[in-house]
Order: sequence, then structure tokens, then C-alpha cells
Amino acid sequence: MTIHLESTINGRSVGINVDPTLTLLEVLRENLFLIGTKEGCGVGECGTCVVLLDGTPVTSCLVLAGDADGRDVETVEGLAPDGELNEVQQAFVKSGAFQCGFCTPAMVLSATALLRRNSSPNEEEMKQALGGILCRCGAYPKILEAIIAATGEGA
Amino acid sequence: MTTYVGSRVPRVDSVDKVTGHAIYGVDVALPGMLHGAVVRSPYPHARIVAIDTSAAEKAPGVKAVVTGKDFPHLFGAAIKDQPFLAIDRVRYVGDPVVAVAATSEREAQYARDLVRVEYEQLPAITDMRLALADDAPLVHPDMHTYERGGHEIIPHTNCNTLYRYQRGDVEAAFAEADLVVEGEYSAHAVSHVALEVHVAVAQYDQFSGDYTLWVTTDRPFFLRDDLAGGLGVDGSKVRLKVAQVGGSFGAKGVPIAEAIAAVLARNTDGRPVKVELTREECLIASQLRVPAIMKLKTGVNKDGFMIARSADVLWDSGAYTAYTVGVAIRGSQTIVGPYRIPNLRILSRQVYTNKAITGSYRGYGTTQVTWACESQMDEIARELGIDPVEFRLQNGYEEGDSYLNGQIMHGVGLRETIETARDEIGWGSVDRAPAPHLRRGKGIATMIKPTMTPSSSNVVINLGEDARVQVVCAAPEIGSGQDTVLAQMAADAVGVPLDDVSVPATDTALTPYNGPVASSRTTYHMGNAIVSAGNEIKGKILELAGKTFGVDPDYLEMRDGEIFDGEGELLVTLKNLLARYHGEGLSLTAGGRYTSAQSQLLKANPGEEWISSIFWMLCTQAAEIEVDTETGVIRVIKVAASADVGKAINPLTCEQQIEGGVVMGLSNGILEDFKISNGRIENGTLADYKVATIQDMPEIVPILVESVHNEAPFGAKGIGEPAAAATPPAIANALFDAVGIRITDLPITPEKVLAALSEKKEAEPGD
Repeated sequence: MTIHLESTINGRSVGINVDPTLTLLEVLRENLFLIGTKEGCGVGECGTCVVLLDGTPVTSCLVLAGDADGRDVETVEGLAPDGELNEVQQAFVKSGAFQCGFCTPAMVLSATALLRRNSSPNEEEMKQALGGILCRCGAYPKILEAIIAATGEGA
Repeated sequence: MTTYVGSRVPRVDSVDKVTGHAIYGVDVALPGMLHGAVVRSPYPHARIVAIDTSAAEKAPGVKAVVTGKDFPHLFGAAIKDQPFLAIDRVRYVGDPVVAVAATSEREAQYARDLVRVEYEQLPAITDMRLALADDAPLVHPDMHTYERGGHEIIPHTNCNTLYRYQRGDVEAAFAEADLVVEGEYSAHAVSHVALEVHVAVAQYDQFSGDYTLWVTTDRPFFLRDDLAGGLGVDGSKVRLKVAQVGGSFGAKGVPIAEAIAAVLARNTDGRPVKVELTREECLIASQLRVPAIMKLKTGVNKDGFMIARSADVLWDSGAYTAYTVGVAIRGSQTIVGPYRIPNLRILSRQVYTNKAITGSYRGYGTTQVTWACESQMDEIARELGIDPVEFRLQNGYEEGDSYLNGQIMHGVGLRETIETARDEIGWGSVDRAPAPHLRRGKGIATMIKPTMTPSSSNVVINLGEDARVQVVCAAPEIGSGQDTVLAQMAADAVGVPLDDVSVPATDTALTPYNGPVASSRTTYHMGNAIVSAGNEIKGKILELAGKTFGVDPDYLEMRDGEIFDGEGELLVTLKNLLARYHGEGLSLTAGGRYTSAQSQLLKANPGEEWISSIFWMLCTQAAEIEVDTETGVIRVIKVAASADVGKAINPLTCEQQIEGGVVMGLSNGILEDFKISNGRIENGTLADYKVATIQDMPEIVPILVESVHNEAPFGAKGIGEPAAAATPPAIANALFDAVGIRITDLPITPEKVLAALSEKKEAEPGD
């Protein structure tokens, strides 16, 4: 048995038949080959699988694919559609806000979502927005520095 | 003069990583790929009575079912004590017993659950202190028959490593000392928690007998040899292609997913098999930091000079030794700390227990012994009434001091790391009580770490007719920014633009032999190899330019892709020079090699040369903390972390390593705590095993000290490991400064803080 999904993924309409037991993470990675979204635990504890669902960060390993029907999904692949890095990505490069890079898509997406809804967050708000994503390399200081830079405050 | 070395250039892997384009081990997929799952032991110690795989074999999609008897070979770095799948006996909860491959992950998991294993439980030893008792059950009754290297064991016991070191007369010095301080300290098992799980894809060629694996590892050639050992084939039959590594910290050097993938691939009809561990499997059944119990005794005279130290260290390897023998030996030496102590005695023993395997973990034993050493340094200073900073400066190594084996130490910036950390934290002043229930304090800790010595690195540098440079070497980027640092050094050594340098991914069939990306050794060792090969290429180019333009090449210089004459005038660009020879297809190749083996710097007392280190890592951290006396919760406010990097090839990546090390040290020291009951890890999830988030992060000020090492490439030493070691003792020493309690067993949890506070209150009722 499959279900049919009609979603907007990275700005494009996508229609796809999928097994209803699959998670959004599995469909993104295995059916749509959007492998920039990473799995670190599969049970909603590490945050590396964050995508934006109607603009809100969600751990895609805890979202059934069916729940994305009719909704807008944004992954890291959608942030630089014409090869131009968005402001957060540019700031991450400049500040060196990553090391192994495995959590970076989730960090970049969450930071982008934060700045879309609040163009001048304070540090506490930044930390809260990213508090659910683990970075074992401990890139946190430079991640914070990058987000501050992306708000224009650090310039 | 350098163009890129010393410069804060953005990392070469930036765009790949911020766009999600980087391909990690978990992203590798091949046509026809099967998926594996593992049956693991539910018991800490048991005999395997029978295994029934018949139902699993008939399950939908199943293509292979493998048990230990199919691969009766043992592997291991120092003792070959471990099979890929348990043979006759399981030795820890999580020990792999049966592997299943099927066309999908779900089918593999379904079939795995159909495997029936009958066990007869055996008495388990799960406490390292009890493992040496006469009647302790033996984890490896056959240990004495295992193939092993030259180190000492105690046959017919659980002791898999015995190491002793002695210098001077410790007992006489203790008798002479004005003050002797004794204590017992313990460091717990912590998990690496690399966010990319252990994963591998393996394929077997039935005709050639060759295995090819797509892996995510920090030590490709060591892993290849361990794999070959467990598979019972020659190393030449195993090829590893290394994808981007989603964090390692020492975890990804031994066959874990790789072993399972390989044995399954051997039993399919050539179809590749992917094995991706779950997070829980990574936490309970991959590798942990080696727990240690350290008895430490130090004698000082009243002027504050240390005159004697004895250490009795017990290490817990868990069920198999993996890389722990080196930890137990090299780690124990480091318990002396970066201090001149004339009389020394070290006893180090490591035991098997029926617990999860332990192994190398960022610092290779140093995080454990630094905890003991630096806690005791603080106790001594306070008992003597000497400032803890002054006490360390007074006893600390200086350039030209001799190490415990007589090696003359070079590139020793310890003093500057202590002084800069002290100044940055504002030592000597603290706002003690910002609120009635809050107390603040400051603490300092330092550390020393040797690097793996001797060891070698090889590189091949190719300069193509397109004027692009390939740095071909087996040094996978594990997140530390070393692709960037190696490219910077190559760009300057050859004299080409950084954008024209690439560092291809490691492939053991293509990239020349290298030691591991471990022990903070890559910048130094591979850097030296790159400088050697790069200079050779540059020399050939200048010779060609000289011949072409009729000038003496000795007067020419190449920088950033441009060749200048003796007057500093541009003669020709590299691209234009090579274009002149386009028809001939001119390409240049040079091999570079560095080994520390013959270095004069390693000269030491006869028989003790092996204790030498080609360079020394030194790092000091000063922490300010706030403790809530009602909850016991510690908030780390600020950490000033000063590291002697020799020379910062890239200040940005050095800062990353220091900041990341502090975050990891903080997390290890006050947050991470496995609940282990009868050898079973009860909290194998990231919800219950707490790892630091951005919300736990203090203000971190990284400070780079550049002592400059004469034999190093551009003066650069290593920086990956040291930053994590000093954080927990700096926090503990700050806690003592704040409220006068000392926690000696890691981690420093709120429960222990509250208990110590209440004990202190009872002891001092008038306080």
C-alpha cells in the first residue's frame, strides 16, 4: 500500500507515492535523494535531521511522510538554489562555523528560519533556536558568531 | 615568506559542508546494495550453546546469515583478542554474534529478530577493581595464547597490560619531603558521540578475493590491517575508500560496522552490503573512553618544588583491548604532567572486564591522567599556601628541560600558556557571591601530551599541465580542518595559489601509506612530507624556468603561481610557463616522506628512547564557574584556553580545535554519565546520555601560543587533542575555589556537588 503526497519541496511541486510508514527523513533521503539532510539518531534526540516544514524547524525523523502532504518542505539543498549561498551559509563559511559538517545542514536551516521570523534575535534566542541540535565537534562559538554576523550586527 | 601559511583562510571544505553536498559514509549507496543487521549479546558474559539461524535464512529478502565460526580469526592492535563475530563466548552486552544481510534494512532487522541463540550465562566481572582478585572470573582464559606485541601481561589473570616506570628513589624522597599529598581519582567511560554513526559499505569480488569498503575512518591503513586480520586475508586484499567523516574523536579506527559489512559481503553473490549502526548500538557497542582509577602520591618541599611522585593506575579495557594497551602505557607516563619531578614511580595495569570495549579517545589517555594530576596539583598548592598558578610555573617544563626519559625537550611554550590563560581569566579577582545561593570561583589546569613517536607520513604531489596541484595522501579530513591546513602548506611549499590545490579523498589503493589521523600528528608529519615534496616540485619548475629564459634558477623564486627573478620582477606565470610545454604534456610529480625515527630530537636515556616524543603539546585552561548551592548545578561562565601550537598554519582551524575541545571537555566533565548496571549500559540514548548543546556553552577565549618547533613544517605542532583534557580539572579546581569542595571522581554531577556540600557543612557546623 502506498499513499500519495503532493508537497512543495524546495520551492518545487513534488508528487510521489510512498509507503505510509516512512518518515519524512526517509522519503527525503531515499526517495528524493536529498541527502544533505542527515540522520544522527533516528529518534529525535540529536537534531541533525532538521528540515523546515512550512518554515518551522522539525526533526524529520519524527515526522511521518504523510504529514508533509500539502505542505512546504525546505531542506539545505533549497537554501542556495542558483548556486548563491544565503546569508547564513556565507556567514558560516566566513566564521568557520563547522568542523566535520554533519550537523551543519540542520544548524544552517534552523538559523535561517530564526532570522526569517526575527531579524535581530539576541544571543539567548539564537541559543534557544539551535539548542536541539548537537554538534560534537563543538563548533558552537563560531556558529553563534556566524549567526550574529548574519544579522548584520557582527559586521 | 609565506602567502597562505599563518593566514585565516576559509576552510577548503566550506561550500560542500554548508550546502549539504559533502558525501559522508552514511550517504554511500551502490547498485544492488543490501543492508545488514546484527544480533548482539544480551548478557555480559555467556557461553554460546547453540545458534539457530534457520528461520532467519528463510525470511523475506535475506541474502546472507553469518556467524563467528565462519571467520575464526582474531584481530587487535597490541593483542589479537577479538573476533568479528563472537566465537563460543560473548564478553559484553552488545557483543556481535550473528550478522544478517537482506534487500532492505527493515527485512534485515526482521530476520535478525528470528535468529535464536541459546546462551549459558557465566559469572561476569564488571568492576575493574575486582578483576585482579584471585578468584575473579577470566574474561579471556586463553589470553596467554593470543598473538601480541612486546608489552607485558600477567598470564592467567585479567591483566592484559602491565607497565612499570621508575626513576630515582621515590621512597627516600617521600621521607625527605616537607609535604606528601595522596589521593585517588577516577575518570569514567564516555562515548565519542560522533554524530555520524558507525557505517560501512563492503563489496567482495569472488574472482580476485578482494574486498572493497567505503568507510568513514581516521586511520585507513590501521583499519585495513585490522580488517584483513579478522577476515584472515593479506592486507593487500582489502581496499578502503574513505568518505567524509562525520566526526571521529578516536572512535572510527577499529573495525565495527566495517567488520560486519565485510563478513556479510563475503557471503553474498558479489552484491555490496551496507551496515549502519543505530545510535544505541554506537553508545553501547562501539568503543568508549578507557575508564581509569588513579592513585597518585606527590612529595614537595616547603619551597614548593616537587621532588617525588608515585602513581598506581588501573585501566579498564572492557571486553577486548582494541587500542587500549597504548593508552594504558603512554597515558600512564603522562600522569607526571608537564612538571620536573626527579623521583618517579609508575605502575600501570589494565584489566579486561565484561563491559563495552574501550579504546582511543581524543587525548589517548591524557584526559584521564590530567584529571588526576591537575586535581592534585591544586590540592598541593592550597596545602602549601602557594598560588596554584605560581606552583605550576615554578615546577613546569621550560625549553631545554629533560623529559622523564632524559630527552631534551624542544618547543616548550608551557609558561606562556599558563600566563596568558591566567591573565585572560582575571586570576585573583572574583565576584564570590552574586546571589545568596550562588557561589563563583576560578580554577586553572594545564596538560602535556606526547605524539605517537616514531611515525611516518608519505605524500605524492602532482603538478599537472593545468598548473593545478594534487596533494595525494591518506589523511582523511575528520572535521579538524586538516585538508585546509595541508593545502595551505602545499600551496606555499610549491608556490601556487591555494585555489589550485586539491587534497583528494583517501583510497588505500591510490594514496601512499600514512600513519593514523590521530595523536594530533597530521599537521606536523604530513606537513613535513608536503614541504619536502613541494620544494622538490618548485625546484623542478624553477629549473625549467631558468632553462627556458636562460637565467640561473638559483636566483628565481615562485610564489602564488608567479615566478620572480632575482630583482623581484615577474618573469613568467606558472600557467604560461607550462603552456609553452603543452605539446610535451609536462607534468611533475614528487614524493615526500617524513619520519621522526631518525631525529636527533629523540635522543634519550639508553633503552628509554621509545618514551620520547617528536613534539610536545601543552595547553592551559583557566575557568570561571558558578555553582548553585541549592541544586548543585555548575554553570561554566568562561574558559580561557591557551595552547602552544608551535605555529598556527591557520588561526581559524586552531581556534576551532581549541573551542571544540573545551566544549567536549566540559561535556565529558560535568554532563556525560553512563548508568551501568552489571555491565549493561542502561542509558544508551542521547536523551539520557547528556551531551553539551549550544546552551551549555560558556564564553570561550582561545589563545594561540607559538613556541615554534625547529623540525616542524613552518614551526607547527599538533592541536587536536590537548584542548579537551584540561577543562574538567580546571572546572573542579574552580569549584574548590568557589565552595571548598573537591570532587575526585568524574563526572562532576549535581548529586556529587550537593553531597559534598552537605558533608562539608556537617564537618564545619559553625560555617
